[in-house]
Amino acid sequence: MKKQIRLRVNGMDRTVEVAPRTSLLEAVRDQLGLTGAKLGCDMQVCGACTLLLDGKPVSACSFLAVDADGSELTTIEGLAAGDRLHPLQEAFMDCGALQCGYCTSGFILTAKALLDEQPRPSEEQIKDYLGGNFCRCGCYQEIIQAVKKVAGI
Amino acid sequence: METTEIGKSVRRLDYKTKVTGRAQYLADMSVPGMCHGKILRSPYPHARIVRIDASKARQISGVVAVLTRDDILHDQGIEPFYGPVFKDQTIVAVEKVRHVGDPVAAVAALTVDAAEEALRMIEVDYEELPAVLSVNDSLKPGAPLVHESVKLPASGFADLAELKPVEGTNICTHFRLNRGDIQRGFAEADRIFEDTFTLPATQHSFLETHACIAQVEPGGRITVWATTQNPFVVRTQLANIFKVPVSKVRVIVPYLGGGYGGKVYPKVEPITVALAQKAGRPVRLVLSREEVFYTITKHAAIIKMKTGVKNDGTLVARECEIHLDTGAYAEIGPRVAKKSGYTAAGPYRIPNLKIDSYSVYTNKPPAGAFRGFGVSQSAWAVESQMDIIAAALKIDPLELRKQNGYDEGDKFVTEETLRAVGLKECLDEVAKSIGWGRMEQWNNGTVEQWSRGENIKRGKGIACMIKATITPSISSAVVKLNEDASLSIYTGTVEMGQGSETVLAQIAGKELGIPLETIQVLGVDTDVVPYDLTTSSSRSTFHMGKAVQLAARDILRQLKQIAAMEYGVPEAQVTFAGGKIRLPEAQLDYSDAMFKRFGMQGGTLVGEGQVKTSTKNEFGEKSTSAFWFLAAGAAEVEVDVDTGRLKLVKYATAVDVGKALNPLGCRQQLAGAAITGIGQALFEEIAYDNGQPINPNFVDYVLPSLGDMPETIDPISVEVPDPNGPFGAKGIGESALIPVAPAIANAVFDAVGVRIKDLPIKAEKIFLALEEMKAKAR
Amino acid sequence: MNDFEYLEPATVAEACAMLKRYGGEARPYAGGAYLSIVMKQGLIRPKALVNIKKIQELKGIRFDPSEGFVIGALATHRELETSQLIREKLPILCAVEREVANIRVRNVGTVGGNLASGEPLTDLAQVFLALDARVAISGPSGDRTIPLEELFVDLYQTSLGEEEILTRVIVPPPPPATGIEYIRFSSSSVVDKPCVGVAVRISLNADRKTCGTVRIALGCVAPRPMRAQGAEALLTGHPLSPQLVEQAAAAAAEECSPISDLRGSERFKRGIVRVLVRRAMAVAYDRASHASTLRLRSGQAGSA
Repeated sequence: MKKQIRLRVNGMDRTVEVAPRTSLLEAVRDQLGLTGAKLGCDMQVCGACTLLLDGKPVSACSFLAVDADGSELTTIEGLAAGDRLHPLQEAFMDCGALQCGYCTSGFILTAKALLDEQPRPSEEQIKDYLGGNFCRCGCYQEIIQAVKKVAGI
Repeated sequence: METTEIGKSVRRLDYKTKVTGRAQYLADMSVPGMCHGKILRSPYPHARIVRIDASKARQISGVVAVLTRDDILHDQGIEPFYGPVFKDQTIVAVEKVRHVGDPVAAVAALTVDAAEEALRMIEVDYEELPAVLSVNDSLKPGAPLVHESVKLPASGFADLAELKPVEGTNICTHFRLNRGDIQRGFAEADRIFEDTFTLPATQHSFLETHACIAQVEPGGRITVWATTQNPFVVRTQLANIFKVPVSKVRVIVPYLGGGYGGKVYPKVEPITVALAQKAGRPVRLVLSREEVFYTITKHAAIIKMKTGVKNDGTLVARECEIHLDTGAYAEIGPRVAKKSGYTAAGPYRIPNLKIDSYSVYTNKPPAGAFRGFGVSQSAWAVESQMDIIAAALKIDPLELRKQNGYDEGDKFVTEETLRAVGLKECLDEVAKSIGWGRMEQWNNGTVEQWSRGENIKRGKGIACMIKATITPSISSAVVKLNEDASLSIYTGTVEMGQGSETVLAQIAGKELGIPLETIQVLGVDTDVVPYDLTTSSSRSTFHMGKAVQLAARDILRQLKQIAAMEYGVPEAQVTFAGGKIRLPEAQLDYSDAMFKRFGMQGGTLVGEGQVKTSTKNEFGEKSTSAFWFLAAGAAEVEVDVDTGRLKLVKYATAVDVGKALNPLGCRQQLAGAAITGIGQALFEEIAYDNGQPINPNFVDYVLPSLGDMPETIDPISVEVPDPNGPFGAKGIGESALIPVAPAIANAVFDAVGVRIKDLPIKAEKIFLALEEMKAKAR
Repeated sequence: MNDFEYLEPATVAEACAMLKRYGGEARPYAGGAYLSIVMKQGLIRPKALVNIKKIQELKGIRFDPSEGFVIGALATHRELETSQLIREKLPILCAVEREVANIRVRNVGTVGGNLASGEPLTDLAQVFLALDARVAISGPSGDRTIPLEELFVDLYQTSLGEEEILTRVIVPPPPPATGIEYIRFSSSSVVDKPCVGVAVRISLNADRKTCGTVRIALGCVAPRPMRAQGAEALLTGHPLSPQLVEQAAAAAAEECSPISDLRGSERFKRGIVRVLVRRAMAVAYDRASHASTLRLRSGQAGSA
C-alpha cells in the first residue's frame, strides 16, 4: 500500500508516493529525477548512494523512503548556489579528486557533512569520516587533499 | 582565454558536469515507452537444460516479453552464436548452461517488480552434469568438456588468427613462443630456479554495473545505449547477431562509471537487443552487483617458471608454462594468454625461451580483460622469481633488474627492436622515492608501539614490467572548425574516467593554438563519430591523440589553402602562431579566413585524421606493439610477525609516459592503477564453492579503501618520448597496476623472509609461513 | 525485497502488541542497517515492519548512579561514538564505535539493533560482555533484564521472543582500578568485517596488583560472542606475569570454536585470538594499574 511522504529536498518541499519497501534512493532518482546519487553496491558499503538526511550521510540504497517522512534531504544537485559551486565542488575539480565520477556525489556530500560538523578536521578525522566511501578509480589522495583545502588545513 | 598548453596540468573538461551530479550515466537515462529487463540465471555450474516452460511467466501482468532459447534458435533473423574471438557464446543458454549465472532466459516487463516475478515463474528442468571447476580438473584426461565443439568466426582479430581451440579438450588456446635453444640455455646456466606462482580470479568492481538500453525500430534499425569501452566492436557483433548491416546499428555511449577492461566486447547488449526486439519496445537492463560477478572476471592463473641464471646474475634461459582460467567462454581469453606468453620473459634479455601459455575453459564465470591483462598475471611470477634469484645469488634486486633489463635498441622476445625504453629510468625513480638500500631509523619506543614492541618488521621491494598495446589497430578522428573558430572533436574514444576528453582537446588546442574553453569533445555515437577499435590497452592517448593531431593539422592545411587563395599569397608564406594565420603583411583570425571562404557567418571546415598501426615496424620487422609500456613500482611494508598483518607504508610508481600531456591526469592514472593493484595484491579474490561465487558483493569482496592507503603513494612520470606518439606521448592507464603485487611480495620477503607465491598476500598466508619458519627454527 | 506493512507505534507496549498481532511475521525496525540487507537477499520476508524509531522511551544515553550507564536501544552507533558522557566515562566504547562499519551505517544503525540481530561478526558485543552489561527486554507479558551473554543463542539467533523488544543496555559502573582494551583484527581491508575481536577487562583487587575480576570476551570465533571463562579463571587472584598471560592467551585460543571461512581458517583465527588476548591483556592491566577514577582509559590501540 502506497504512502504519501513529505520531504524538504534541497530547500524545496516535495511530496512523493512510495510503497513501504521503496528505498530513499529509488524515490529520489525515479520520482524526483535527481540522479546524482548512484546505486553502487546496494549494501551500504560503497557510499555511491550517499544522501544527507537532516544533514547526516546515509546510504539511500538501504534507507526506507517512508522512514524519511518529514526529513530534510540534501543531494548533490542542491549544493551549488546557481552558477556558484560549493567550495568542495571547486576543490574536487582543482585537486583532481575524481576520474569516472560515479563515487563523486557521495564523497562530496560526506565531506560536506563532516565540514558542517567540524569545520577544521584533522587529517585523521577526514580519513575516518570518508573511510567508508569507495573510489575504484583510486583518487583517495586527491580527495583528502581537496577536503583539506576547503578546511584550510 | 589562454591558448592550450600541453605538459601543464589543466582542469578536466568532464569535471563540472560530474561534480554537480548532472553527468548522465546509463542507469540515469530512460527513453519513452521503455520497459525493464531482467535475466534468469543458471544455479548450476554445468547442466543440460531439459525443459523450459515460460508460459506462466508470460501471464504475469505487465510482462511484455519472455526470451528463451526457442526465440534465438527459431528466428531466421538471429545468429545465435557470437563472441569476440570464438563464437562460443549465445544470447541465452541453448543446450546447456556452463557456469553459475549463465543467462537462461530474460524478461521484459513494464515494471522491475513484474519482471522479477516473471523470472520466478519460469520453470526450468536441468540435468546436472559433472563440472570442471579448476584448470587442473579441466586438463585431466577424460575431463567433462565445457564445449563439445567451438564455432570459429569467418574473420576475426588479425593478431589472434593462429590460435584455435584444441578439439576434444578444454584447452581454449595454446600460445607458443620459442627462442634460441632452451636445452643449451639451461646447460649454460650455473643455477636453475623452479617456482610455481598462482593468482585468483578477481572482479573489476567498477561502481557502475553493466547496463544497456536497446530499441529496435520496425524496419530493423537497432539503437543501443551501452556501457561499453568499444562501441564499434559491439556494433559489429550486434550486426552479425541480428543480421543487419553495421549502418543499421547505432551504439551510443554515455560517460562510464569505470571500465578497467570489464566493459570491452559485448556484455549485456545482445540480450537487451533481443528482448527489445521481441518486446517491440525499448528495454533497459541494469545488472545488479551480484550479476556483474557472473558476467566478467579477471583470469586466475597458475604459472610454472623455470629460469637458468649465471652466477653473475645473467639470465640465460627460461621455460614457462602458464594456465589461465578463462571460465566458460573464451571472451578475450586467447589474447590474455598470448600477452601473458609474450611477457613471461619480463622486461629482460633472455636468449633462450620456451613459453607455453594456455587459456583453459572451466565451468566458472567468464574471465576477460582486466587492466593490464596477461601481464599482471605473468609479471607476478617474473618479478617474484627475480627476487628469489637475487636472494640466492646475493645480488641487489635493483641491480639484478638493471643488469638484465632492456635498453633502447634491444630485441624483444619476438626479435623486434625496442625503442623509447624508459625501463631503467623508472627503476631508478622508484628506488630513489622509496629510499632503496636505506632502512630508516624508526622509533620503537612510542606508547602505541609498546604493545607491539619488536613485533613489527619493515622491508622494501621493487618490481618492473614491459607491456604491449593491441596491434594492429585503427583510430580515426574528425574535427570541425566552426565559423567562430571554436572546435568540435568527434571520436570513438570512451570517457570512462581516464581523462581522454581533456587530453584529446589539449592536443587539438595545442596544434591549432586555440583555447581549451572553445573546444567541445562530443560523446560517442557510432552514427556520428568515425571508427575506433577500442578504448582499452592504454591506447587512446597514443592512437586517438595522434589521429586528433592529424585532424587538426588537416584543418591547418585547409586554412593555409584558404588564406593563400583568398589573399593571393604563396602557401609557403602562410604560417600559424598563437591561433592566428600569419601572412607576410598581415595577421588573420581563423574566423576571418572562414568568413572570407564562406562569405557569411557560417560554414565548417572538417579535418580528418587516421592512425592505423601495422604488424611491421619501421625496421621492417614483425611488430607486436605500436609502442612499449615500461614501468616500475617499489613498496615499503611493515609486517606484524605475530599476526602476519601487513601494512603498506609507502608505495612509489613510475611509468614511462613518453610525454605527460596533462601531468595531473597522469598522476591520477598512475596512483589510481596502483591502488587497484594494492587491492589485487592484498586481499581481492573471488571465492568459489562448487562453482558458485560466495562473495559476489562488496561486503565480502572488499575493495581498497582510504584506510588501506599507505601514507604516500608517489606517482612519477618518466618521459622517454615515442616518436610516433602525439608530442611523444605513450599510453599510461594500465602500467602502474602491474608491478604492485610482486613489489609488495618482495618487500614482505625483505621484512620477514617469507616468500608468498599465491595472491592475494593475506595476513593468514604470512602468519602460516612464519609459524612454519618458527617451527623449523626450534 | 518483499512487500510489507509499515507500522509506527508510539510506545513500547503498542509495538509489542503489533508484533504479537502478526504472530512472528513482523519485525521491529529501527535503523534498518542489518534488516535491509537480509530482506534484500530474501533471507527474511516479514509481513510487517514495526518502526520503533519514534518511541521516546527507547532513546538516550544517561548515567544512573545505581544502575550505571543506560543506553537506549535506539541510540545510534554514532551517538555512542560522539556522546560526551561516554567519551568521559567509558571512552573504550567511543574507540570501538569509531571503527564500526562506516559513517552512514553508524548514523542509522542502533545499539539495540546491533545486539538483537545476533550477527556474529561485530565488535560492540565483546566490549559490552567484558563490562558485564545487561539488556532490558519488554514484551506483552512484561519486562525482564538479562545478562547480555544470555541474549546470544546462535548465529543470528537471540533469546528475544518474537513479540519482544530490546529496550536498553545497562552497563554497571566498573569498579575502581579497572582497565579495558578492545582489539579488532581484520584479515583484509580495514573496512572489512572483523576476523577476530577481543575485549579484555581487568579490575584489580585493593592491592592494585592482583587481578580481581577478569573478563575476556571473544568475537567472530564462535556462533555467538563468548567469554573465555577458562582463561579468565587462570588470572583471577594473581598478578599478571608473562607466563600467566601466555597461558591465558593459549587457553582462550582453545576455548573458542572458530570456523574456516572467507576471513580466515580455524587455525589462523585461533592463532590471532592468542595474540590479541595477550596484547589486550597487557594493555588492560596497564590501564588498570594507572586508573585513578571511574574513567576507563582507552588509547587508539583499537586495531591490530
